[in-house]
Amino acid sequence: MTRWALDTVRMRVVGGLAVLIAGLALTAMVGVTALRTMRGSVREEMLGLRATTEVTNGLVVTVFDEIRAAEQYLSAPSAEARAQFTGASDAAFAYLRRLETLEALTVDDRLAVNRLKQLHAVIQVEYAMAHALLDLGRGADAVRRSAGARAPATELMQLVRGLSTRQAGRAGAVAERLTALARRREALLWLLVGAVLVGGVGVAVVTVRAVERPLDRLVVSAERFGGGDLRPVAPSRMPAELRLLADAMSGMGERLRAIVGEVVTEADRIAGSAGDLSAVSEQLAASSSEIATAMVDISSGAESQRNDLREVAVGLGRLRGATDQMTGAATRVAGLAGEIRSVADRYRGDIAAAGGALREVREAVEGASGRVTELAARSAAIDDFVDLIKRISSQTNLLALNAAIEAARAGEHGRGFAVVAQEVRQLADESARAAEDVARATSAIRTQVDEASASMAAGQSRVRGVTLTAEAAVRGLAEIVAAVEQVDQAAAQLARTATDARDTTGHIGQTVDLVSGRAMSHASGAEEVTAAAQQQGASTEETAAAAGHLLQAAEKLRGLVRGFRT
Amino acid sequence: MVLGLTGPFSEARGRSMRQAAELAVAELNARGGVRGRRLDLRILDDSASEDVALRLAQQLRDDPAVVAVIGHLTSGPTLAAAPVYGGGDRPVVLISPSASSPALSGRSPHFFRVCPSDLAFGSRLAQYAMRTLGARRVALIFMNDDYGRGIRATFHAEFTRLGGQVVTEDPYLPSAGAPEPYLARLARAGGADALVLAMPRVAAELTLREMARLGLRWPVLGGDALSGIETLGPPAEGIRVATAYLPDRPGERNAAFVAAYGRTYDGARPDHRGAGAYDVVQLLARAITDVGADRRAIRDYLATVGGARPAFEGVTGRIAFDSAGDVPQKAVVVGVVRSGRLVTEASQ
Repeated sequence: MTRWALDTVRMRVVGGLAVLIAGLALTAMVGVTALRTMRGSVREEMLGLRATTEVTNGLVVTVFDEIRAAEQYLSAPSAEARAQFTGASDAAFAYLRRLETLEALTVDDRLAVNRLKQLHAVIQVEYAMAHALLDLGRGADAVRRSAGARAPATELMQLVRGLSTRQAGRAGAVAERLTALARRREALLWLLVGAVLVGGVGVAVVTVRAVERPLDRLVVSAERFGGGDLRPVAPSRMPAELRLLADAMSGMGERLRAIVGEVVTEADRIAGSAGDLSAVSEQLAASSSEIATAMVDISSGAESQRNDLREVAVGLGRLRGATDQMTGAATRVAGLAGEIRSVADRYRGDIAAAGGALREVREAVEGASGRVTELAARSAAIDDFVDLIKRISSQTNLLALNAAIEAARAGEHGRGFAVVAQEVRQLADESARAAEDVARATSAIRTQVDEASASMAAGQSRVRGVTLTAEAAVRGLAEIVAAVEQVDQAAAQLARTATDARDTTGHIGQTVDLVSGRAMSHASGAEEVTAAAQQQGASTEETAAAAGHLLQAAEKLRGLVRGFRT
Repeated sequence: MVLGLTGPFSEARGRSMRQAAELAVAELNARGGVRGRRLDLRILDDSASEDVALRLAQQLRDDPAVVAVIGHLTSGPTLAAAPVYGGGDRPVVLISPSASSPALSGRSPHFFRVCPSDLAFGSRLAQYAMRTLGARRVALIFMNDDYGRGIRATFHAEFTRLGGQVVTEDPYLPSAGAPEPYLARLARAGGADALVLAMPRVAAELTLREMARLGLRWPVLGGDALSGIETLGPPAEGIRVATAYLPDRPGERNAAFVAAYGRTYDGARPDHRGAGAYDVVQLLARAITDVGADRRAIRDYLATVGGARPAFEGVTGRIAFDSAGDVPQKAVVVGVVRSGRLVTEASQ
């Protein structure tokens, strides 16, 4: 809710004041306007009156001047008097013209002005004619003529007086009109002031009522709450602030009502519970004595049961011993199997390694055998080469012999050549010898090579035999390992079975002990229960008494709460 | 749709005004009226009396059927009644064909006239006397009312300005009898080069007869108030009359008007009042045609004729109003009575 919501005490007060201020401002405005209008009217009327008065006064004075100058000319003709007469006539005519143009004149006034103009024209003409007659020396005619101006002059003066009187009357009428206007304005002002006052009082009353009535209702509701009447606050139109208060009070009543309701329910429930409690207490007391009786029987049965159990325990002890032994044996078997397995594993490894080494040896021998065969083939080639050398050296020797013969035949001349032939022969011999050496060496090598080839072949077959043996050993070891595995598993199973058997026996033993212990404790517990049951019987009676008190309290509470009207 | 028509219709000077206005209305109605409606005249006789004029003004203004008023013929009643027409809740426009007093200029926002003011007549007469007649010493007899005093004042000012001398200025009223003392005194004093009669026709006739009786033969001049004096006979012969309209004024429009007027009224000739009234009726008919038969609209229309709206070409010439409701453009001519007829003098 905004601060400026319409239906609030604040807005009512502010609005009321605003209405009052507006009313006062209107009143002041009307007053000021009235005064201003009146001032304007007065000013206008006064100006009109003043102008009329000024013109009529001026007219009267100039007409007097005119007549005076005219008469003066008649008695003593002079240019000055004539000029004065003409000037005054013109001035009077100008005044009449001004009079005619005045706005404030009524039609009657205008008729009077017309008549004034005619009269003035007549007066002027009569005097002008008289002056002309006088100038012509017809004095008697002139006097007669001028007499004709007297009647119009008198009428003119009367008319002007009448006009003045009418103006005065008009002034009176204006004053009266203004007075009436002032009175009307005054009445209007009083009316406005009254309206503003009534409005103010009305606003005040409405505001006070708008605040007071709901407030009274709220007070009544509050008093009702105090007296325990928690029925809701009756909803009604009220300012927002009070509505907030009413809402708060309604909320409070609502909550109080809920609380009282809850208390009543709870009290009812407590009363019910207390009743139940006392009934249960009684039942309990009855049960306690039954228990006590039963317990005596239990304690006597427990003793014989314990003796039987004790025999069972001895049997079980023996059984356990046997099982333990079996377990030990199985454990040992398992240990041996493990050792076997580890040894077999180790040898299997070694053998496998040896197999590998043998395989390598066999491969090396096979390689060397290949190369020896090759060498044998090569030594055959050397034999061919030695044969070639031998053939060359024998031919060379033959040639050198021929040369020596031919050199000898040549005599002196062939001596040098015989030396060379000798040398060549020696060289051929040496070559033949070298070739012989080579042939020998080659032969020796071939023999060795053949031997080597033979030994190698023998080695090769031996190695192959070892390899086969090793592979057989490896297979045998694997079978051993598999067998050991089975033994191991069997031993483990045996050990587990033995352990289970021992555990079971142990359990049974414990159970028997427990049962026997329990039987013992049952006997003593039964005695305690008997005692406790007896004690409980006493307590239950106390509980029952307390439940009775509680019941009474709940009743009282219910009575109290019943005092609230919800 | 009614137009008020008011003037001294019981007198000879009012005849032409009434006849010309009736002729104009008859012509308009013969052509189907104005805006399809018949135009009527409410003819009221003011007897040239200011008192009567005041009453008639009130009566016409308060009659809702009246959309405009043509009148009055003379300056005095017009001056007296103009504020009445322009007052009240529903002011009505007043257009005069011949009221020439300078005091009427700007007298009321509801007053217009189609003739020049006496300022024009007086100064035109002064120029004519000085230049055409060669007069230097001039005597003046004036009707002692607004009209006579107006002519007197403007003539005096212009003639003195031109170097002439106004030897006598005597007030006159027909009720005072013949102006014999003035004429006799002037004759004894040596006469004058010319005599100005600032007076209406009736008073002028008295004066002329008196002059004839005394055997005085001064050249005589006067304003348009003398119109109609040509019918007087020999005493009127040779009199000069300053006027804004003469029936022999050139122009087809005027010729047609004069011919129609003669046909309708036994060969009579219209004077400046009749011609002015004819123009006023035609001008009002055009205003109503253009803006409707509403008093205020008609007034506003007339105020713009010759301004925002074009000037009106009438039988008396061009009508264009200034802000005072006058027609300053209209020229004043001087006619002369020859053989019982007022004609344009050739020597001008």
